[in-house]
Amino acid sequence: MTLYEGTAGRDYEISGIYVENNITRRLEALGLNDKTVIHMMTKKKHGAMIIKVRGTRLALGRHIAKSIEVKECKA
Amino acid sequence: MSEREIRVAFVGNPNCGKTTLFNAITGSRLKVANWPGVTVEKISGEAVYKDYHLTIVDTPGIYALTCYTIEEKITRKCIMDDDIDVIINVVDASNLERNLYLTLQLLELGKPVVLALNMMDIVRDRGMEIDLHRLPELLGDIPVVPVSAAKNEGLDILLHAAVHHHLEGPTGHVLNYSEEIEEKIAKLEVIMEARYPEHSGRRWHAIKLLEWDEDVREDHPVNILNVADRNYEKEIIRQKYKYIDEVVEEVLFHKQEKAAMTDRVDRILTHPFWGVPVFLCIIALVFILTFAVGDSLKAVFEVLLDEFSAMVHDGLLAMHTSDWMISLVCDGIIAGVGGILTFIPNILILFLALAILEDSGYMARVAYVMDGIMGKAGLSGKAFLPMILGFGCTVPALMATRALETEKDRRKTMFVTPFMSCSARLPIYVLFADIFFGKAAPVACFSMYVIGLIVAILIARMINLFDKGTNNESLLIELPEYKKPNAKTIRIYVWNKISDYLTKAGTTIFIASIIIWFVLNFGMGGMVENPADSFGAIIGRFMVPVLEPAGLGMWQIGVALISGISAKEVVVSSFAVLFGITNANSPEGMSLILANIRSSIPGFGSLNAFCLMLFCLLYVPCAATIGTIKKESGSVKFTLKMVMFQLLLAYAVSVLVFQLGSLLL
Repeated sequence: MTLYEGTAGRDYEISGIYVENNITRRLEALGLNDKTVIHMMTKKKHGAMIIKVRGTRLALGRHIAKSIEVKECKA
Repeated sequence: MSEREIRVAFVGNPNCGKTTLFNAITGSRLKVANWPGVTVEKISGEAVYKDYHLTIVDTPGIYALTCYTIEEKITRKCIMDDDIDVIINVVDASNLERNLYLTLQLLELGKPVVLALNMMDIVRDRGMEIDLHRLPELLGDIPVVPVSAAKNEGLDILLHAAVHHHLEGPTGHVLNYSEEIEEKIAKLEVIMEARYPEHSGRRWHAIKLLEWDEDVREDHPVNILNVADRNYEKEIIRQKYKYIDEVVEEVLFHKQEKAAMTDRVDRILTHPFWGVPVFLCIIALVFILTFAVGDSLKAVFEVLLDEFSAMVHDGLLAMHTSDWMISLVCDGIIAGVGGILTFIPNILILFLALAILEDSGYMARVAYVMDGIMGKAGLSGKAFLPMILGFGCTVPALMATRALETEKDRRKTMFVTPFMSCSARLPIYVLFADIFFGKAAPVACFSMYVIGLIVAILIARMINLFDKGTNNESLLIELPEYKKPNAKTIRIYVWNKISDYLTKAGTTIFIASIIIWFVLNFGMGGMVENPADSFGAIIGRFMVPVLEPAGLGMWQIGVALISGISAKEVVVSSFAVLFGITNANSPEGMSLILANIRSSIPGFGSLNAFCLMLFCLLYVPCAATIGTIKKESGSVKFTLKMVMFQLLLAYAVSVLVFQLGSLLL
């Protein structure tokens, strides 16, 4: 599944990032790497969302959210 | 450079408090105005520690030393080219994990690095603890100094550490990568040494070559294909974060024991549904404060200005100054410049409110909140930030478009930013709304801001229709913790804006007022009694037939609009000079303007005034803005296209509104 399909309030583990190269590098520099755990804080209807990763809040647009492959973490 | 002169660079992530620290250390010696959190250029200041003289450079906030954004390029160039002796890496201690990524890269540069742990108070408030003995050990024994930029704590120790560490020189490298990568780094270092024997910082260059960094490959071309046949950036990033995980595990205790206040506030401010209405309410509040409170404060300025003008007039008379000189000083300069000064309370409140919104951390949320609406216009939510800055002044707003990822987005945002009403247009709105709209004046003023915003979004949407296939759902922005706005940051910020305004009044508006006075008091036969015979009237009359359909067919308005290109406030100055009014912004001044306008166009009412306000909102931006568009876009063609488009749009909209309005009203 992609992060875009996720639900606010749950935790996800990254399994891959498939977006334009420069955005991928930027996400990686911000600490979104394989196996990093993301907490989805809130999500808008059209898909933009706020996530918390490594203690930082990031706002992501739909395009990026659709490009992050994740697995849901078991609570 | 003598040994007692040290060049220090402040480098750190966005929103880690670099600028607050910079202001705290350089104090009143600050050279250039700065947007908190939106430093787009490097800025330098001075500080003295014992008998050392430090030149301190504040750089734009960055997450990495790559070269993907303009900020990164500026910062990297500054560190590499500007003979920086010591890097002070400002770190948000409450966000150690992410901040240390940049730290590891800075350490690889081979220059002395001092770590300034900022925001330690937040760390304590949240019940977290950082092991200050173990942290430096894990970072190659560099000095680690806890500071609080907001409370002026630890600043002397930081300067001491910078001076001392500069004398000690750099420490060895901290992070060892996997064997495979280390082996390649070693080989590349040998190649670099043979090819560029003078060059320092070989390890950093070797790592950057492995990451296929474009700039490094261009500046110091080396054939690396024998060593590395692919890009190792991904592995290098991962291994850095792996090391950071280990560091954080060892030095940070009680991670996030208390739920941060930010999460609770965000539940309301970034709510999927309520986010937009809340934002609109906040902006409406800002403008109501600006107009309502600002207007009640301006009475003080009015009294002072009237007294000053009378005093100068009497003084000049007593000195037997010639009539034309008295007219130039009182009707030209004091009327033109003084009238503008009475708007200071409005401007002050506007900037105060923007500074508080910015410094508290709300502005970044606006990008997220507006992302959906901006997305419909083909822009990312991030483009909304420069547009909001445009409420203050278009010039820094255009510069802030640098934060956008692609040149296309940037051009599009630059194209629509001037439609956001800047503070220079505010005097025009306040004046004409007060004259023609009575109690509804604040609503009329606020409507200009809303119309500007709607026009900007519609135009962006139109550009997008012509320019298919662009994807603008790539919003990516960090949302900082909310914090109490720092009084000093806000004071410096507001003061800079007010002093810019005063400088503009003393230069551009001063000169424009003299020119307008000349144009209106001289004609073909020398000085004229009746302004209707002046050069100004001759020029203005050409415009009357053109402006007629917009309800503005009056030569004086033509003159005011042309002179408004020098600076938008000059539209107000022009009316003051035209009608010989000392203070256009006083009840007497307003009734004089009304009487004068009505003597030319008897039916000039609120619809005409509204069209005038609309025209001023939309038409050609001021000279400074045109210059900035040219500088930022690097294209004369683009600049001309923008200017022409705005002129046509302003004309079309005001004609349309006037004609439709005349039919309906």
